Amino acid sequence: MSKNDKTIADKLHELDELVLWFECEDLPIEEAVKKFAEAEQLAENIQAELEKLENKIEQIKEKFN
Amino acid sequence: MDFAKIPQFSVSDFIAVTNQTLEYAYQSVQIVGEVQSFKVNQGKFVFFDLKDEESSVGCFMMLFSLRVALEDGMKVMVQATPKLTKFGKFSLTIQHIQLVGEGTIKRNFELLHGRLQKEGLFDEARKRILPSMPTRVAVISSMQSAGYKDFIKIIDERWSGLHIDVAHVQVQGAEAPNQIIKALEHINQSSIVYDVVLILRGGGSADDLSVFNDEQLVRAVAGSRFPTLTGIGHEVDTTLVDLVADRRASTPSNAAQILVPDRGAVVDIVNTKLVRVLGVMERRVDTASQKVAQDTEFMARQIIGRKQTLESQLEALRRTLRQLDPEQVLNRGYSIVRRENGLELEEVQVGDMVAIETKKNIIKSEVIDVKKR
Repeated sequence: MSKNDKTIADKLHELDELVLWFECEDLPIEEAVKKFAEAEQLAENIQAELEKLENKIEQIKEKFN
Repeated sequence: MDFAKIPQFSVSDFIAVTNQTLEYAYQSVQIVGEVQSFKVNQGKFVFFDLKDEESSVGCFMMLFSLRVALEDGMKVMVQATPKLTKFGKFSLTIQHIQLVGEGTIKRNFELLHGRLQKEGLFDEARKRILPSMPTRVAVISSMQSAGYKDFIKIIDERWSGLHIDVAHVQVQGAEAPNQIIKALEHINQSSIVYDVVLILRGGGSADDLSVFNDEQLVRAVAGSRFPTLTGIGHEVDTTLVDLVADRRASTPSNAAQILVPDRGAVVDIVNTKLVRVLGVMERRVDTASQKVAQDTEFMARQIIGRKQTLESQLEALRRTLRQLDPEQVLNRGYSIVRRENGLELEEVQVGDMVAIETKKNIIKSEVIDVKKR
């Protein structure tokens, strides 16, 4: 799944996994710095999507009368 | 009376002509009355009388066309075609029955509720959980209604990126149940996988909302392939469709609040998680810095200790060397005896010349005697 196909729910789940990683003891410092940058980027993406995306409304063409 | 001018028929012809006349004059009539002697024959034929204070008329319909729960005493309006049977019995063939009066509507609800509850259609174990952040949903509603517009307004305020497919139907009147059922069938047979199907309708009278107590509609909602969420009427209104749905909202607006989270709250959660991670990072860096400092201090102590050890060893070596220094031997009063030309002293013989070095002098001497120790 490409980054663009991921839903907001998918990205939040990814963020949760990163947060969980940070709760382990003995974090290797270099990897922690890298993962923190990932978490920051993910948070930014989520906020941007929530602010900019619009809802799409389409009427079903079928007639039901 | 001139009997020659009076029409003459066979029994069958008379019945046929009478039915033609009735069809011409009363193709379809609506009659209000009270149900009496209601019965179902052979599991498919419905018979009852429709009466008022003075008269009654027989009614007939097929069971599959009966969309409400009937019992004697209920007031109804029937849409029917009057007919004379081949046995000369006058009867109304019912196309549609509408309940009349709040009492009747309530009683129909109770009867149908009891029946469906016995079948387990309202059981909690049947209820499916709605996804917390749906991406694609179907809405069945009237797009002109206030309830639908309220729903869309709240969705736009709360969330982004949701795809909504709308089936535009009537949400009141005799045609409404069938239209909603057809919309539900269309959605359930679609290749699109919906996260939720919503059925929405704003507030109305008990009569308006009775659409959502239609037995076939209730069963269609119960059989939906996708989880269902209803937002019908106001807080106090509960219909059978509400009870059979996976989740009930009190109003269309409340349905929007249940369907999607508030984006502000989600942003707050994201920021809280980030702050938590930042806290962990800061503590980790502090811990790492402390460890570096501790390790550096330890190494420094190690180096100093090693240096001290080496210095001690060096001093010990110096002391040993000093003790081994021939000058120290001479200073203690001893002397060093050498043979000339570097020859071995152990092989000295009488008459050989030796040099005796003391602290202050070198004495040249002749060997006069040699004895073994």
